[in-house]
Amino acid sequence: MSIYLCKLCSVLLLEHFGPVVQTVGDDLLKYDRRSLRAIKAAVNLPLNKIKEVMCVLIKYGFVEHSKNDKLNEYIIVHERILMILRYPRYMFFVKSLLGDEAEIMLEELLRRGYETASKIIVKTYQRLKQLSSDRQQPVEILKEKFESLVKHQFLMRSIITPAALEDPIDLNVEKLDFSFPDLNLLALSRMANGIAANPGDNNIYWRINFDRFTQDIRDQIMVSAITKRFDDNAGELMRQMLNLMYLRTAEWRATSNPIPYVEIKDAVRKLKYPMLIQHLDQYLCLIEEDTCQFLKRVGDSGGGQFSINMKQAFTQLTWTTLENIVLERFGSKAARIFRLVRTRKYVEQEQIQQLAMIPAKEAKHLTYTLLQENYIHVQELKKTTVSNAPTKIFFLFHIDLDQVVGMEISHCYHALYNTIQRRDHENTVNKRMIEKHLRVQTLTSNLKEHGATEEQLNDIAEMMTPSEKLELGKVQDIIKKLGASELQIDETLFLLTMYSRYQEK
Amino acid sequence: MDVRGEFSSEREINRIVDVGESPEFIEEKIISLAQAKPKGISDKDISAEIPDLAPARKAAAINKLLAQGYFDLFKQGGTLLYRLKDPSKAKSVKGADNEEKVVYNIIEEAGNKGIWIRDIRFKSNLMPTQLNKILKSLETKKFIKAVKSVAASKKKVYMLYNLEPDRSVTGGAWYQDQDFEAEFVDILNQQCYRFLEQKKDSTKNCKDGPIGARNIAFASSKEVWKFISDLGISKVKLSVEDLEMILNTLIYDGKVERTLSSDGSNLYRAVEPLLSPPGLIRTPCGVCPVRKNCCDVGEITPKKCHYIKEWLE
Ligand code: SF4
Repeated sequence: MSIYLCKLCSVLLLEHFGPVVQTVGDDLLKYDRRSLRAIKAAVNLPLNKIKEVMCVLIKYGFVEHSKNDKLNEYIIVHERILMILRYPRYMFFVKSLLGDEAEIMLEELLRRGYETASKIIVKTYQRLKQLSSDRQQPVEILKEKFESLVKHQFLMRSIITPAALEDPIDLNVEKLDFSFPDLNLLALSRMANGIAANPGDNNIYWRINFDRFTQDIRDQIMVSAITKRFDDNAGELMRQMLNLMYLRTAEWRATSNPIPYVEIKDAVRKLKYPMLIQHLDQYLCLIEEDTCQFLKRVGDSGGGQFSINMKQAFTQLTWTTLENIVLERFGSKAARIFRLVRTRKYVEQEQIQQLAMIPAKEAKHLTYTLLQENYIHVQELKKTTVSNAPTKIFFLFHIDLDQVVGMEISHCYHALYNTIQRRDHENTVNKRMIEKHLRVQTLTSNLKEHGATEEQLNDIAEMMTPSEKLELGKVQDIIKKLGASELQIDETLFLLTMYSRYQEK
Repeated sequence: MDVRGEFSSEREINRIVDVGESPEFIEEKIISLAQAKPKGISDKDISAEIPDLAPARKAAAINKLLAQGYFDLFKQGGTLLYRLKDPSKAKSVKGADNEEKVVYNIIEEAGNKGIWIRDIRFKSNLMPTQLNKILKSLETKKFIKAVKSVAASKKKVYMLYNLEPDRSVTGGAWYQDQDFEAEFVDILNQQCYRFLEQKKDSTKNCKDGPIGARNIAFASSKEVWKFISDLGISKVKLSVEDLEMILNTLIYDGKVERTLSSDGSNLYRAVEPLLSPPGLIRTPCGVCPVRKNCCDVGEITPKKCHYIKEWLE
């Protein structure tokens, strides 16, 4: 396990849940699985505090509880903690698919870990009201939004509830449950207006189905890859194929079950892509014959049967990613060598310079740089030609993809950790100013609510001097930029993780 | 004379040889005749093989060969017969001692790829100083030559004098005096790509659907070769194979793909990558040269980092 994975998880817990949660988290990160007593012995916190933290961690899914025989153990789930990095992407995704209201609901759930539908709907209602009156939506609409979140399986029934936290149960038995309870709309709108009522979903808690988001981001990567390689028509075709895949294949299978041509045609007919409809056969053939190997023709009956090769797709995407990284870090000639070693599988130094057509000295230098940085590997081959001659040793270069991916994943962890550290640092250094700005903001909105005059508001705004405002703008820019960097690094991390995930199966 | 190696096996040519040739040449022919008849050759056989040879010259040649130990002389039914002592040795160089012959044979075996001095030493088991002397001697006699290999700048390989060195030794069109012309290769690489890219762009308005467009985007190596030849950027004459080498570098650059056409020729096409540059390398820490040394404490830390500072500005 990369030490930077632990450091990264730790700093994410600190940032979102504070130092106490981090302390307990650190101990779990160190050992992967721990009993309460062991944690108690390691950290300097009272037992009830630790239990409290545990509840928080379990509530959000960062820790899973496992009960076997007498041993009560808690297991840390690194991947889940890393998902904190992806919250903005999840929200953006939901917003573009289901609109602003759904985004707010998702955000609330992300914040709370689990919650009842009625509470989320009411909260969303209130938040919208606060934003502006023309964004106001009646609770019926909001309930529909919530239902569509469930219908898309972004949310699922939570097995973890306040009651369950009291008496820990084995959470491995969790089944996906998307059944929506009847809600009393009248009670909902009463609650929305601050009157206590019973909406009828007490004890039915919801939480986020993160796997669904992971699948969506995964699919999106494939669609945009095909779009980039060919065109929008091909990309849309890929999207339709992926939709069809879900109807017949478990989400994480390496290859989809065969999709018949007729169904593809039906799906495409419903779209507004005239070129795609006209040339559907050609587009299928185009993607299938391409070296990226996303699609495979697996049968000829009924106009053809196609299967999506998910594992292969992510292997190809991973290669492309690594090639790009080598290109950026060591230049185009190094990338040429990297690709050459990839295609040739095992290759001697001499062949490298000949095939890559790079001067011997430069080729050697680049090859050894790549070797040193662990992007390529070397294998010795001993061969005795004549009995009395010394053994001849051949050095064959090759690439161990799993190893390179593993290394690059921990580069991502490290880069993320560093970027977050820097952002943190910028925040700390400018703490005084940022806090002042926040104070001014709260004051302004409070006064606004109480109908303050324009003049009063101006006075407040002037509490920040022009130079302070300028400085603040700069700092906000910096923090935004660093935050964007984190998202970018996570993009790469996500893709490489997908590769590993498919390799494991 | 540097024709020995080939003529020894081609008896046909013997007949058309002008007998005014040098004594060495006559000796060669006698040897090759004797090789063909391992039981021995008589004076008459020699005269029949080289009818115009003056007896005096013939005698001189035979005497020399005998003196050098090529032949056994013996009598059979009243005629004198000359028989080759040891066929393998007879093949080798006249005027050379045993070690020279051994070395010569090793070099001959290596063909036009040549052989490195170290390998000669291993095969011959000779001491370095002795081997050097032998090589010098063979070189001055123009039996062998040393050719600088492009594979390694200081590496010389030996081969028979009359051979045209293999491409792997000279590097072919891409070398001038053992220097690899990297710039030339780069320019050709760019131009080939430009050609294929234009070809692909021209398919944008293709009405025959995506497959039709893809097929138009393909160009055979010959087409690319013609384009480059017409550009006139090359001083040396390039072959289609030369250009395929360049096109291969484009494949390794990930910009071009190759398919085999139905008639077996290579077809090339510019392709779009699957992904834009990954997010990681668009951030300072993703491409940082000192990331390995960057930790929470010490000289290089995220807080003090100059790379990020520059990038933020
Ligand atoms: S913080 Fe600076 S020094 Fe450290 S890895 Fe990032 S760019 Fe490199």
